[in-house]
Amino acid sequence: MSIYALQKAIRDVNRDPAKRAAFFESPAGLAAQYALSEAERDALQRRDYATLYALGVHGLLLRPFSILHSVSEADYLRAIRGQG
Amino acid sequence: MALSFACALGHAPGIVAWREAAPAEQRERLYQAFGELRARLEAARLEALVLFTAEHWANFFLDHISPYCIGRAQEFSGPIEPWLKIDQAAVPGAPDLAEAILTACQEHDIEPAFSYELRLDHGTMVPLHFLTPAMQLPIVPIVINTLAPPLPTPRRCFLLGQAVGEVVRRDARRIGVIATGGMSHDPGERNHGVIDESFDRQFLDAMKDADAQRLKNYTVPQLHAAGAGAVELLNWIALGGALGGARGEVLAYEPVVPWATGIAAMAFNVVSAS
Repeated sequence: MSIYALQKAIRDVNRDPAKRAAFFESPAGLAAQYALSEAERDALQRRDYATLYALGVHGLLLRPFSILHSVSEADYLRAIRGQG
Repeated sequence: MALSFACALGHAPGIVAWREAAPAEQRERLYQAFGELRARLEAARLEALVLFTAEHWANFFLDHISPYCIGRAQEFSGPIEPWLKIDQAAVPGAPDLAEAILTACQEHDIEPAFSYELRLDHGTMVPLHFLTPAMQLPIVPIVINTLAPPLPTPRRCFLLGQAVGEVVRRDARRIGVIATGGMSHDPGERNHGVIDESFDRQFLDAMKDADAQRLKNYTVPQLHAAGAGAVELLNWIALGGALGGARGEVLAYEPVVPWATGIAAMAFNVVSAS
Protein backbone atom coordinates (compact mmCIF):
# COMPACT_ATOMS: atom_id res chain seq x y z
CA MET A 1 0.00 0.00 0.00
CA SER A 2 1.58 3.26 -1.04
CA ILE A 3 -1.62 5.27 -1.16
CA TYR A 4 0.17 7.82 1.02
CA ALA A 5 2.92 8.31 -1.57
CA LEU A 6 0.35 8.43 -4.37
CA GLN A 7 -1.65 11.14 -2.62
CA LYS A 8 1.55 12.99 -1.81
CA ALA A 9 2.52 13.00 -5.49
CA ILE A 10 -0.87 14.38 -6.47
CA ARG A 11 -0.85 16.97 -3.73
CA ASP A 12 2.63 18.08 -4.78
CA VAL A 13 1.52 18.45 -8.42
CA ASN A 14 -1.53 20.41 -7.26
CA ARG A 15 0.37 22.76 -4.99
CA ASP A 16 4.04 23.00 -6.03
CA PRO A 17 4.61 24.87 -9.32
CA ALA A 18 7.93 23.08 -9.94
CA LYS A 19 6.40 19.63 -9.43
CA ARG A 20 3.44 20.61 -11.58
CA ALA A 21 5.75 21.69 -14.41
CA ALA A 22 7.70 18.45 -14.03
CA PHE A 23 4.52 16.39 -14.29
CA PHE A 24 3.32 18.24 -17.38
CA GLU A 25 6.73 17.73 -18.98
CA SER A 26 7.08 14.08 -18.05
CA PRO A 27 4.42 12.26 -16.03
CA ALA A 28 6.67 9.20 -15.83
CA GLY A 29 9.59 11.30 -14.59
CA LEU A 30 7.51 12.84 -11.82
CA ALA A 31 5.96 9.51 -10.89
CA ALA A 32 9.43 7.96 -10.58
CA GLN A 33 10.20 10.33 -7.70
CA TYR A 34 7.67 8.57 -5.46
CA ALA A 35 7.61 5.05 -4.00
CA LEU A 36 4.56 3.85 -5.90
CA SER A 37 3.30 0.41 -6.81
CA GLU A 38 3.19 -0.41 -10.49
CA ALA A 39 -0.59 0.06 -10.62
CA GLU A 40 -0.35 3.41 -8.87
CA ARG A 41 2.45 4.64 -11.12
CA ASP A 42 0.54 3.59 -14.21
CA ALA A 43 -2.70 5.25 -13.08
CA LEU A 44 -0.87 8.46 -12.19
CA GLN A 45 1.01 8.66 -15.49
CA ARG A 46 -2.14 8.05 -17.51
CA ARG A 47 -4.28 10.27 -15.28
CA ASP A 48 -6.68 7.38 -14.97
CA TYR A 49 -9.13 9.06 -12.59
CA ALA A 50 -11.31 5.97 -12.14
CA THR A 51 -8.34 3.92 -10.94
CA LEU A 52 -6.84 6.70 -8.86
CA TYR A 53 -10.18 7.12 -7.11
CA ALA A 54 -10.59 3.37 -6.61
CA LEU A 55 -7.08 3.24 -5.14
CA GLY A 56 -8.26 5.66 -2.47
CA VAL A 57 -7.13 9.14 -3.53
CA HIS A 58 -9.16 11.73 -1.62
CA GLY A 59 -11.74 13.58 -3.72
CA LEU A 60 -10.44 16.97 -2.64
CA LEU A 61 -7.02 16.02 -4.01
CA LEU A 62 -8.20 14.23 -7.12
CA ARG A 63 -10.76 16.76 -8.35
CA PRO A 64 -8.29 19.69 -8.18
CA PHE A 65 -5.73 17.47 -9.98
CA SER A 66 -8.27 16.85 -12.75
CA ILE A 67 -9.04 20.56 -12.98
CA LEU A 68 -5.34 21.20 -13.73
CA HIS A 69 -5.99 19.18 -16.87
CA SER A 70 -9.24 20.97 -17.71
CA VAL A 71 -11.43 17.92 -17.02
CA SER A 72 -15.09 18.98 -16.74
CA GLU A 73 -17.07 18.12 -13.63
CA ALA A 74 -19.35 15.84 -15.63
CA ASP A 75 -16.42 13.93 -17.14
CA TYR A 76 -14.71 13.66 -13.76
CA LEU A 77 -17.85 12.31 -12.08
CA ARG A 78 -18.45 9.83 -14.90
CA ALA A 79 -14.91 8.54 -14.45
CA ILE A 80 -14.97 8.10 -10.68
CA ARG A 81 -18.44 6.56 -10.84
CA GLY A 82 -17.07 3.97 -13.24
CA GLN A 83 -19.27 5.23 -16.06
CA GLY A 84 -16.34 6.53 -18.06
CA MET B 1 -21.66 38.34 29.01
CA ALA B 2 -18.49 37.91 27.01
CA LEU B 3 -20.11 35.40 24.66
CA SER B 4 -21.79 38.09 22.67
CA PHE B 5 -22.65 36.49 19.34
CA ALA B 6 -22.86 33.03 17.81
CA CYS B 7 -23.84 31.75 14.42
CA ALA B 8 -23.28 28.90 12.00
CA LEU B 9 -23.16 29.10 8.23
CA GLY B 10 -22.02 27.25 5.14
CA HIS B 11 -18.74 27.95 3.38
CA ALA B 12 -19.21 26.38 -0.06
CA PRO B 13 -16.92 28.16 -2.52
CA GLY B 14 -19.78 28.48 -5.02
CA ILE B 15 -21.55 30.93 -2.69
CA VAL B 16 -19.01 33.50 -3.84
CA ALA B 17 -17.13 32.02 -6.80
CA TRP B 18 -20.15 30.76 -8.79
CA ARG B 19 -22.85 33.13 -7.58
CA GLU B 20 -24.72 33.19 -10.86
CA ALA B 21 -24.93 29.39 -11.08
CA ALA B 22 -27.51 29.21 -8.29
CA PRO B 23 -31.23 29.89 -8.74
CA ALA B 24 -31.72 33.59 -7.95
CA GLU B 25 -34.37 32.96 -5.28
CA GLN B 26 -32.19 30.56 -3.31
CA ARG B 27 -29.19 32.82 -3.63
CA GLU B 28 -31.09 35.88 -2.46
CA ARG B 29 -32.60 34.07 0.53
CA LEU B 30 -29.12 32.99 1.61
CA TYR B 31 -27.51 36.38 1.02
CA GLN B 32 -30.30 37.99 2.99
CA ALA B 33 -29.71 35.60 5.89
CA PHE B 34 -25.95 36.22 5.77
CA GLY B 35 -26.72 39.96 5.78
CA GLU B 36 -28.88 39.49 8.88
CA LEU B 37 -26.04 37.60 10.58
CA ARG B 38 -23.68 40.43 9.74
CA ALA B 39 -26.10 43.01 11.16
CA ARG B 40 -26.39 41.06 14.40
CA LEU B 41 -22.61 40.59 14.58
CA GLU B 42 -22.09 44.32 14.14
CA ALA B 43 -24.72 45.13 16.76
CA ALA B 44 -22.82 42.89 19.18
CA ARG B 45 -19.73 45.16 18.86
CA LEU B 46 -17.36 42.21 18.94
CA GLU B 47 -13.70 42.47 19.83
CA ALA B 48 -12.73 38.97 18.70
CA LEU B 49 -14.17 36.02 16.81
CA VAL B 50 -13.50 32.31 17.38
CA LEU B 51 -14.19 30.04 14.40
CA PHE B 52 -14.71 26.30 14.42
CA THR B 53 -13.72 25.73 10.84
CA ALA B 54 -12.39 23.28 8.29
CA GLU B 55 -9.65 23.40 5.74
CA HIS B 56 -9.19 21.45 2.54
CA TRP B 57 -5.54 20.34 2.38
CA ALA B 58 -4.54 24.00 2.68
CA ASN B 59 -2.11 23.69 5.60
CA PHE B 60 -2.09 20.06 6.62
CA PHE B 61 -1.34 16.91 4.69
CA LEU B 62 -1.07 13.27 5.66
CA ASP B 63 2.49 13.82 6.87
CA HIS B 64 0.98 15.50 9.93
CA ILE B 65 -2.68 15.71 10.87
CA SER B 66 -4.06 16.73 14.23
CA PRO B 67 -7.66 16.37 15.40
CA TYR B 68 -7.84 20.06 16.32
CA CYS B 69 -5.44 22.88 15.56
CA ILE B 70 -5.73 26.30 17.15
CA GLY B 71 -4.38 29.27 15.22
CA ARG B 72 -2.37 31.58 17.46
CA ALA B 73 -0.82 33.81 14.79
CA GLN B 74 -0.72 37.61 14.95
CA GLU B 75 -2.10 37.61 11.44
CA PHE B 76 -3.57 35.14 8.97
CA SER B 77 -3.66 35.46 5.22
CA GLY B 78 -6.08 34.17 2.65
CA PRO B 79 -7.71 33.01 0.59
CA ILE B 80 -5.29 30.50 -0.90
CA GLU B 81 -7.64 29.99 -3.87
CA PRO B 82 -6.96 32.60 -6.57
CA TRP B 83 -10.34 31.78 -8.17
CA LEU B 84 -12.49 32.36 -5.09
CA LYS B 85 -13.38 35.99 -6.03
CA ILE B 86 -12.46 37.19 -2.55
CA ASP B 87 -9.64 39.73 -2.36
CA GLN B 88 -6.40 38.70 -0.69
CA ALA B 89 -6.52 39.86 2.89
CA ALA B 90 -4.50 39.84 6.09
CA VAL B 91 -6.86 39.00 8.95
CA PRO B 92 -5.61 39.92 12.43
CA GLY B 93 -5.28 37.13 15.00
CA ALA B 94 -5.95 37.16 18.74
CA PRO B 95 -2.96 35.21 20.09
CA ASP B 96 -3.73 35.86 23.74
CA LEU B 97 -7.23 34.46 23.34
CA ALA B 98 -5.80 31.49 21.44
CA GLU B 99 -3.42 30.86 24.32
CA ALA B 100 -6.24 31.06 26.87
CA ILE B 101 -8.19 28.52 24.82
CA LEU B 102 -5.18 26.19 24.65
CA THR B 103 -4.72 26.43 28.41
CA ALA B 104 -8.39 25.76 29.10
CA CYS B 105 -8.31 22.77 26.77
CA GLN B 106 -5.47 21.28 28.82
CA GLU B 107 -7.58 21.73 31.95
CA HIS B 108 -10.33 19.77 30.17
CA ASP B 109 -7.93 16.94 29.24
CA ILE B 110 -7.88 17.95 25.57
CA GLU B 111 -4.52 18.65 23.93
CA PRO B 112 -5.03 20.48 20.64
CA ALA B 113 -2.23 21.22 18.24
CA PHE B 114 -1.47 24.84 17.52
CA SER B 115 -0.02 26.85 14.69
CA TYR B 116 1.52 30.27 14.26
CA GLU B 117 1.07 30.11 10.51
CA LEU B 118 -2.34 29.03 9.24
CA ARG B 119 -3.35 29.97 5.74
CA LEU B 120 -7.04 30.51 5.26
CA ASP B 121 -8.99 28.83 2.47
CA HIS B 122 -12.65 29.15 1.49
CA GLY B 123 -13.63 27.31 4.68
CA THR B 124 -12.89 30.46 6.66
CA MET B 125 -12.76 33.19 4.01
CA VAL B 126 -16.29 32.70 2.63
CA PRO B 127 -17.92 33.20 6.06
CA LEU B 128 -15.64 36.18 6.85
CA HIS B 129 -16.47 37.70 3.46
CA PHE B 130 -20.12 37.91 4.54
CA LEU B 131 -19.73 38.57 8.27
CA THR B 132 -16.72 40.89 8.48
CA PRO B 133 -16.03 42.01 4.90
CA ALA B 134 -13.47 44.58 6.09
CA MET B 135 -11.52 41.62 7.58
CA GLN B 136 -10.70 43.78 10.60
CA LEU B 137 -12.00 41.65 13.48
CA PRO B 138 -9.27 39.58 15.24
CA ILE B 139 -9.89 35.86 14.85
CA VAL B 140 -8.90 32.57 16.43
CA PRO B 141 -9.45 29.81 13.87
CA ILE B 142 -9.88 26.32 15.33
CA VAL B 143 -9.40 23.80 12.52
CA ILE B 144 -11.06 20.44 13.14
CA ASN B 145 -9.80 17.49 11.10
CA THR B 146 -12.60 16.73 8.66
CA LEU B 147 -10.33 15.20 6.00
CA ALA B 148 -8.34 12.20 7.17
CA PRO B 149 -9.83 9.42 9.29
CA PRO B 150 -10.02 8.76 12.11
CA LEU B 151 -11.86 12.02 12.73
CA PRO B 152 -12.56 13.24 16.25
CA THR B 153 -15.94 12.08 17.50
CA PRO B 154 -18.92 14.41 17.90
CA ARG B 155 -18.72 13.81 21.66
CA ARG B 156 -15.12 15.05 21.79
CA CYS B 157 -15.87 18.01 19.53
CA PHE B 158 -18.70 18.98 21.88
CA LEU B 159 -16.24 18.81 24.82
CA LEU B 160 -13.76 20.96 22.91
CA GLY B 161 -16.56 23.45 22.39
CA GLN B 162 -17.39 23.45 26.09
CA ALA B 163 -13.78 24.33 26.92
CA VAL B 164 -13.86 27.17 24.39
CA GLY B 165 -17.21 28.38 25.71
CA GLU B 166 -15.83 28.58 29.25
CA VAL B 167 -12.89 30.72 28.18
CA VAL B 168 -15.08 33.02 26.14
CA ARG B 169 -17.57 33.51 28.98
CA ARG B 170 -14.92 34.53 31.49
CA ASP B 171 -13.03 36.81 29.09
CA ALA B 172 -13.65 40.53 29.52
CA ARG B 173 -13.90 41.06 25.77
CA ARG B 174 -17.05 40.79 23.68
CA ILE B 175 -16.42 37.62 21.70
CA GLY B 176 -18.31 35.85 18.95
CA VAL B 177 -18.12 32.12 18.23
CA ILE B 178 -19.09 30.66 14.87
CA ALA B 179 -19.09 27.35 13.04
CA THR B 180 -18.53 27.03 9.31
CA GLY B 181 -19.22 24.38 6.71
CA GLY B 182 -21.62 21.57 6.03
CA MET B 183 -24.24 20.60 5.50
CA SER B 184 -24.75 17.52 3.32
CA HIS B 185 -22.35 17.49 0.37
CA ASP B 186 -19.83 15.10 -1.18
CA PRO B 187 -17.23 17.27 -2.89
CA GLY B 188 -15.01 15.52 -5.42
CA GLU B 189 -16.62 12.19 -4.50
CA ARG B 190 -19.12 9.88 -6.17
CA ASN B 191 -22.21 11.61 -4.77
CA HIS B 192 -21.08 15.09 -5.68
CA GLY B 193 -24.26 17.08 -6.24
CA VAL B 194 -26.42 14.91 -3.96
CA ILE B 195 -28.01 16.85 -1.08
CA ASP B 196 -29.76 15.03 1.79
CA GLU B 197 -32.34 17.61 2.78
CA SER B 198 -33.99 15.47 5.42
CA PHE B 199 -30.65 14.79 7.18
CA ASP B 200 -29.86 18.50 7.05
CA ARG B 201 -33.20 19.52 8.54
CA GLN B 202 -32.95 17.00 11.37
CA PHE B 203 -29.48 18.28 12.22
CA LEU B 204 -30.73 21.88 12.17
CA ASP B 205 -33.49 20.88 14.59
CA ALA B 206 -30.91 19.50 17.04
CA MET B 207 -28.93 22.75 16.83
CA LYS B 208 -32.08 24.88 17.12
CA ASP B 209 -33.19 23.03 20.25
CA ALA B 210 -29.65 23.06 21.74
CA ASP B 211 -30.11 19.31 22.13
CA ALA B 212 -26.74 18.31 23.57
CA GLN B 213 -27.57 14.62 23.70
CA ARG B 214 -28.61 14.44 20.06
CA LEU B 215 -25.55 16.38 18.95
CA LYS B 216 -23.16 14.23 20.98
CA ASN B 217 -24.89 11.03 19.90
CA TYR B 218 -24.26 11.61 16.22
CA THR B 219 -21.48 9.37 14.93
CA VAL B 220 -18.89 10.17 12.30
CA PRO B 221 -20.29 7.43 9.99
CA GLN B 222 -23.78 8.96 10.33
CA LEU B 223 -22.44 12.35 9.32
CA HIS B 224 -20.34 10.82 6.56
CA ALA B 225 -23.38 9.07 5.12
CA ALA B 226 -24.68 12.52 4.15
CA GLY B 227 -21.49 13.10 2.16
CA ALA B 228 -17.77 13.38 2.82
CA GLY B 229 -18.23 17.10 3.44
CA ALA B 230 -21.07 16.61 5.92
CA VAL B 231 -18.46 15.72 8.54
CA GLU B 232 -17.82 19.46 8.68
CA LEU B 233 -20.86 19.46 10.96
CA LEU B 234 -18.32 18.50 13.63
CA ASN B 235 -17.63 22.25 13.63
CA TRP B 236 -21.29 22.90 14.40
CA ILE B 237 -21.30 20.30 17.16
CA ALA B 238 -18.26 22.00 18.73
CA LEU B 239 -20.19 25.26 18.55
CA GLY B 240 -23.07 23.48 20.27
CA GLY B 241 -20.69 22.70 23.13
CA ALA B 242 -19.60 26.34 23.35
CA LEU B 243 -23.15 27.68 23.43
CA GLY B 244 -24.05 26.42 26.89
CA GLY B 245 -27.63 25.62 25.92
CA ALA B 246 -28.40 28.72 23.87
CA ARG B 247 -31.17 27.97 21.41
CA GLY B 248 -30.91 28.79 17.76
CA GLU B 249 -32.90 30.16 14.89
CA VAL B 250 -32.60 28.96 11.31
CA LEU B 251 -32.50 32.11 9.20
CA ALA B 252 -32.20 30.16 5.96
CA TYR B 253 -31.71 26.67 4.64
CA GLU B 254 -31.34 26.00 0.93
CA PRO B 255 -30.29 22.83 -0.87
CA VAL B 256 -28.41 24.52 -3.70
CA VAL B 257 -27.78 21.95 -6.42
CA PRO B 258 -25.43 24.07 -8.58
CA TRP B 259 -23.30 24.68 -5.49
CA ALA B 260 -23.65 20.96 -4.66
CA THR B 261 -24.33 21.67 -0.98
CA GLY B 262 -27.07 22.05 1.59
CA ILE B 263 -26.41 25.52 2.98
CA ALA B 264 -27.77 26.97 6.20
CA ALA B 265 -27.46 30.14 8.22
CA MET B 266 -28.27 29.95 11.94
CA ALA B 267 -28.13 32.53 14.70
CA PHE B 268 -28.07 31.67 18.40
CA ASN B 269 -29.65 33.52 21.27
CA VAL B 270 -26.51 33.73 23.40
CA VAL B 271 -27.53 36.80 25.34
CA SER B 272 -30.57 35.26 26.99
CA ALA B 273 -28.62 32.08 27.75
CA SER B 274 -25.88 33.92 29.66
